[in-house]
Amino acid sequence: MAKGTTIRMWRRTAFLLAILIIGFAVVVGSLFRLQLVQGEEMQTRAVDQYLKDTSISAKRGTIYDCNMKVLAKSAGVWKVVLEPNYITDDNRELICNGLSQILGLDKADLIERSKKKTYYDVVQNKVETDVKDQIVAFKEENEITNGIRLIPDYKRYYPYGKFASSVLGFTGSDNQGLAGIEAQYDSELTGVPGRLVTAKNAVGTDMPFDYEQMVDAQNGHSLVLTIDEVVQHFLEKYLEEGVANSGTRNRACGIVMDVNTGAILGMAVKGDFDPNDPFTLSDPKEQAAVDALQGEERTKALNEARQKQWRNKCVSDTYYPGSVFKMVTASMGLEEGIISENTSFSCPGYYVVADRRISCWKSGGHGSETFAQGLCNSCNPVFIQVGEKLGPETFFKYFEAFGFTQKTGIDLPGESRSIYYDETMGPVELATESFGQNFSITPIQMITAAAAVANGGYLVQPHVVAQVIDDEGNIVRTTDTTVKRQVISNETSRRVSAMLQETATTGTAKNGYIAGYRVAGKTGTSEKIAEWVAQGKQGEKKYIASYCGYAPADDPQVAMLVFFDEPLPQGGQVFGSAIAGPPFAKAMSEILPYLGVEAKYTEEELAKLDTSTPDVLGKNVQEAQNTLQSAELDVKVYGQGETVLSQVPEPGKSIPKSGCVVLFTDEESTSQTVTVPNLVGLTLSQANSVAANAGINISISGAALTGNNAVSNLQSIPEGSQVPPGTMVTVDFVELDSVE
Amino acid sequence: MATRADSKRGATVTRLPTARNSDTGEIPRKASFGRRIRKKFRLFSVRAGMDLPFFFLVLTLMVIGLIMLFSSSYAYAYYNYGNSYYFIIRQAGFAVAGIFIMVAISYFDYHHLHKLAIPILLVTYMLLVLVLFMPERNGVRRWIYLGPVNFQPSEIAKFALVLIFAHLISINFKRMSTFRYGVLPYLLILGSIAVLVLLEKHVSATLILVALAGVMLFIGGVQLRWFAIAFGVLGAAVAYIVLFSAKFGYASDRISGWLDPFGTTVDTWQTRQSLMSIGSGGLLGLGLGQSRQKYLYLPEPQNDFIFAVVCEELGFIGALLIVILFAMLVWRGITVSLKAKDKFGMLLGIGLTVQVGLQVILNIAVVTNTIPNTGISLPFFSYGGSSLMILLAEMGVVLSISRTSTIEKT
Repeated sequence: MAKGTTIRMWRRTAFLLAILIIGFAVVVGSLFRLQLVQGEEMQTRAVDQYLKDTSISAKRGTIYDCNMKVLAKSAGVWKVVLEPNYITDDNRELICNGLSQILGLDKADLIERSKKKTYYDVVQNKVETDVKDQIVAFKEENEITNGIRLIPDYKRYYPYGKFASSVLGFTGSDNQGLAGIEAQYDSELTGVPGRLVTAKNAVGTDMPFDYEQMVDAQNGHSLVLTIDEVVQHFLEKYLEEGVANSGTRNRACGIVMDVNTGAILGMAVKGDFDPNDPFTLSDPKEQAAVDALQGEERTKALNEARQKQWRNKCVSDTYYPGSVFKMVTASMGLEEGIISENTSFSCPGYYVVADRRISCWKSGGHGSETFAQGLCNSCNPVFIQVGEKLGPETFFKYFEAFGFTQKTGIDLPGESRSIYYDETMGPVELATESFGQNFSITPIQMITAAAAVANGGYLVQPHVVAQVIDDEGNIVRTTDTTVKRQVISNETSRRVSAMLQETATTGTAKNGYIAGYRVAGKTGTSEKIAEWVAQGKQGEKKYIASYCGYAPADDPQVAMLVFFDEPLPQGGQVFGSAIAGPPFAKAMSEILPYLGVEAKYTEEELAKLDTSTPDVLGKNVQEAQNTLQSAELDVKVYGQGETVLSQVPEPGKSIPKSGCVVLFTDEESTSQTVTVPNLVGLTLSQANSVAANAGINISISGAALTGNNAVSNLQSIPEGSQVPPGTMVTVDFVELDSVE
Repeated sequence: MATRADSKRGATVTRLPTARNSDTGEIPRKASFGRRIRKKFRLFSVRAGMDLPFFFLVLTLMVIGLIMLFSSSYAYAYYNYGNSYYFIIRQAGFAVAGIFIMVAISYFDYHHLHKLAIPILLVTYMLLVLVLFMPERNGVRRWIYLGPVNFQPSEIAKFALVLIFAHLISINFKRMSTFRYGVLPYLLILGSIAVLVLLEKHVSATLILVALAGVMLFIGGVQLRWFAIAFGVLGAAVAYIVLFSAKFGYASDRISGWLDPFGTTVDTWQTRQSLMSIGSGGLLGLGLGQSRQKYLYLPEPQNDFIFAVVCEELGFIGALLIVILFAMLVWRGITVSLKAKDKFGMLLGIGLTVQVGLQVILNIAVVTNTIPNTGISLPFFSYGGSSLMILLAEMGVVLSISRTSTIEKT
């Protein structure tokens, strides 16, 4: 036996060597794969972790109204970020304890989060500067250099609260637009976030290969809206009042539009939400209904309620426009020349189409009437016959031309599509569409068509953003008026406007009348038939009350549509014009003078206008009486004195023609009071005599000036109040016509 | 066999220039001289020159290893000890001392190790038991702390195992095909050491011990059916662990981390950082000293994961060169051992060389995530004074063996 290596050992060693070589080859293969095949991927991963890439938020653009009043703006806040990888066991307790105290967070949770293997864990968003200062002080006190980061961020503020919220929308936690203008113009408002890239080692101190690169954030563009804060204010005020008075249950909306440019001056939905706090239900009733539920059902109901309050009814809801649409059918008839104002019709209270008897809203019928009167009366048989004469093709041609088949293209998100019959519609469909039933459109489509009727026939594109301006105020873009087409002639437009003015003065739409401003308008009360059918034609029939009009009729400037969804019936009936007319009239009577529309009063109107109370203070009683009588005012004298100590109404205050001025001549008399009587449910003359008997003055608003059947429905000072004699009580009158 | 080796040597001699002939020609003369003297009083014997290629490969790897240790530990040392030179100064000191020891040992006649095999084994057992009573660090007990000097008994166990196997196999070589002399003693020794090391929860050391034992027995001539049985048992064990991995929380996390290093289910920070380092190197690397991952991303870059920094700084080319150097070392160590004078030297040399080779392969396999993460240091590179000393001493033994080898040594 040899001492050295045997042959078998040689062989086995060779085999072993081969295995080792294979082992080396395998690891070399791994190196090859990692370094040459996956090298770039690995390098990117590595670079990502030591290049600390800090995003610098861009400031979101401001939203202004047309007069540069700020409607939405962003202000600096801070994002508190935990950097768990830099937190050691030595300072974990300290950091988490400090943060939990300053921010009011759960400490155990923070400790848990501080153990994650990450460099970035957002602890709290939108921290105000005072809280941030506390954190900075805490870090300095305890000499904490790493572990907590404060990143500048922005928070959205809406200084007017709920104001115009349906148009403005709101933003989410990352400043992203989630609804309204904020969503529609999100990319322009957002800007481009900047970056600060620095190389850091694993504990966050700088790496020796210095690298720092700053890319400035580009702040977002600002928007100038067509919305006018003042117009919006009046719209919201009277819309809200209208909702309260009518008991509207499914929200109301209103749009004010410049008829010539399509600029939206005001757009409001009630109930809406506070964009500063969009997730809270603004309607306490809705909140209570949601709170009554549990678990998943509650979550679902809460989501639905939120979606509902965010929904911009003006563009996202569709409805049967009802009689408001008759202004469009009238335009078609005049434009085609198949009727004129004086074409005579007869209304027995119904009209038979294809063996279907379609009723007029007035069961007894309107009898013999001209077309103009038919519009005033909102007589359904008249419009069925106009539709019949037009035929489905022509009717649909105009229907399409007025923009009812397409979205208006307004620069707001969530615009709904309309639902309608096309030119192949049958005679019954044609008949019902002729007076505004059986097809669904959005409020914005309706007012756009009304603007075309008003402005000489031009279908304009509605818009809410007038200008986009950059950070320095330079104009980036201006929205020009887009005229899509001319639908009817100037002539037709003028003639329909004249008829609508008559309708709003003496006809069914007179609740929208405003002295001096020549309102052209039309009411609409539509049944929610589809819903009623869906509930088995049982229970309560629900209605939509709307009013659409514009002024002045001879030179249209501004159109307005208000729309109340499911008002409470009064005495089993819904009086559409009584619900929608007064808010329209009240808002327009403030908006029109604000916009500089000149009032032109007729003789008749002037006669009924209030005058200013003459100043008779300090005068001899007899002299004062003479002055007031020569101004055609009544006088009542209280007290035994010689001279007038005080007067009601005060000098310069308005007083109705032939109102009564009360003069007080001694101290004793000035403390005298009278009781306010009931002034609701009366005709104008009844109200006048009740007021005169009670020794108070009444100021009349609403339809009383022109209406024959106007009845008072509101008084500004409640019955039974003790007031000085001669006090002015405002009484609202509405014309109570039934469903047209 | 001797005739074969002689003829080989003879062939080599005839091929070589005469200038070198005198060197090789000295061997029998010096050997006989050395043998005469040694028998009387000398512990060390200069029988012949040591293997210079092996020696210089060790030196080269040691120098590269020190440079890379400095580079990789620079930032870690600064942040943790406030001194960038913390590791390199210590390691360089151990390296210098270790090289002296290595050279000294190369003069030491390895045959004395026959007598030392059993005492060393007994000391190893003692240390392996002692370590279990040492204070725990990072959840394990692997280190024995003797004031400034700390060492892992498992490092010594590897040497002890290779030594006792070489000793027993060489004296029982003819009976290796029997169970009693060819299998049983080795099973008992390996089993007892493995159990003790496993008690330290030191899986990687256990694996290396088992592999080394297998290599020794394989070369030593154990019948192949025993290997068939061993592989069968191993395979069954692996299958059991894989199939019921849920029972081994620790190991199963390692395995899922291995399969998906960039996943989020388990903590694979170290592996992930290692892969990023290696990948970042690309073909040519970021340049010496330019690693970015060593800035505290890669945990303890001076230890088991030092090769990741090597790859990042020197690129695929640099890493490949180092792997080739290691492969050459292994090749040289094995071929030198094959031509050792006797079976004891041959087995001892191969065992010690293969240990280095195995560690290198497994270490690189771990840093490249080719196998699941387990703690294996990279010879000559990883920081650790005592293990470097032990390694260099083992290399000294190989060099000592090389002095008897009939291989061409320059």
